[in-house]
Amino acid sequence: MTTDTRMTEAASPFATRERSSTAWLWQAASGVALLVLLTVHMVAHHFVVEGGLRTYAEVVDYLRSPVIFVVEHLFLATVTLHAMLGVRAVLFDLGPTPAIERRITRWVTGVGVATVVYGVWLLWAVVR
Amino acid sequence: MSTGAPPRSSRLRATSRWVAVRHRGSGTWAYVANRITGLALVGYLYIHLAVLSLLARGPGSYDRFVDVMRSPVFLALDVVLVAGWVIHALNGLRLTVVGLGFGVRAQRTMLIVAAVAGVVATVTAAVLLFGD
Repeated sequence: MTTDTRMTEAASPFATRERSSTAWLWQAASGVALLVLLTVHMVAHHFVVEGGLRTYAEVVDYLRSPVIFVVEHLFLATVTLHAMLGVRAVLFDLGPTPAIERRITRWVTGVGVATVVYGVWLLWAVVR
Repeated sequence: MSTGAPPRSSRLRATSRWVAVRHRGSGTWAYVANRITGLALVGYLYIHLAVLSLLARGPGSYDRFVDVMRSPVFLALDVVLVAGWVIHALNGLRLTVVGLGFGVRAQRTMLIVAAVAGVVATVTAAVLLFGD
């Protein structure tokens, strides 16, 4: 049994055929990265500032920290990548034709890029 | 002429198998739970972005919204969110480990550990949120 086949079978009991494991590996890697980034995000939001970030002024001050600004960009990109790969995998589990699979990939890529662009714009709009 | 696409009946079978979890193992239930929590969290991601867009409108809109979010109903929804996130994170970690070919025989044990840790984390979050 090849590694790819084993991964496909173990990761998806509904897999109907062997697919490239690249997307699965990206999803797994981004998921592990999210565990770290989300923990930083939650701890910074709720425990670094006493009582958590509750007002507009506190949130803006928090985002103006250069380290936090970088972490929030990384968090946005990673969570969007993980989410879009997840939606793609769920839709692929429904057994679409190869042509529809390509369309799904284009669609989730577009939504993902738009999400990151909007999130980055928002971060910059808030801190400036 | 072959189009490379599976027949329609085969595609329908694949679709129905996704939701037909009865009489299947705990691993399949966990896999479906991960899909459902994942889709819910994708929905939350966009709700979160919509809420954060209030920051661009200035302090008035954002601070009013945060006051509403402190009501018990929204705190309860926060607890549900934490539960969904913990289930998805721990079960996803288990799927990753098993998917890479490690601990395949211990996957059921890992599932039980993930479930117990999930309950503990959710209860802790509820105590912190409502006790604050």
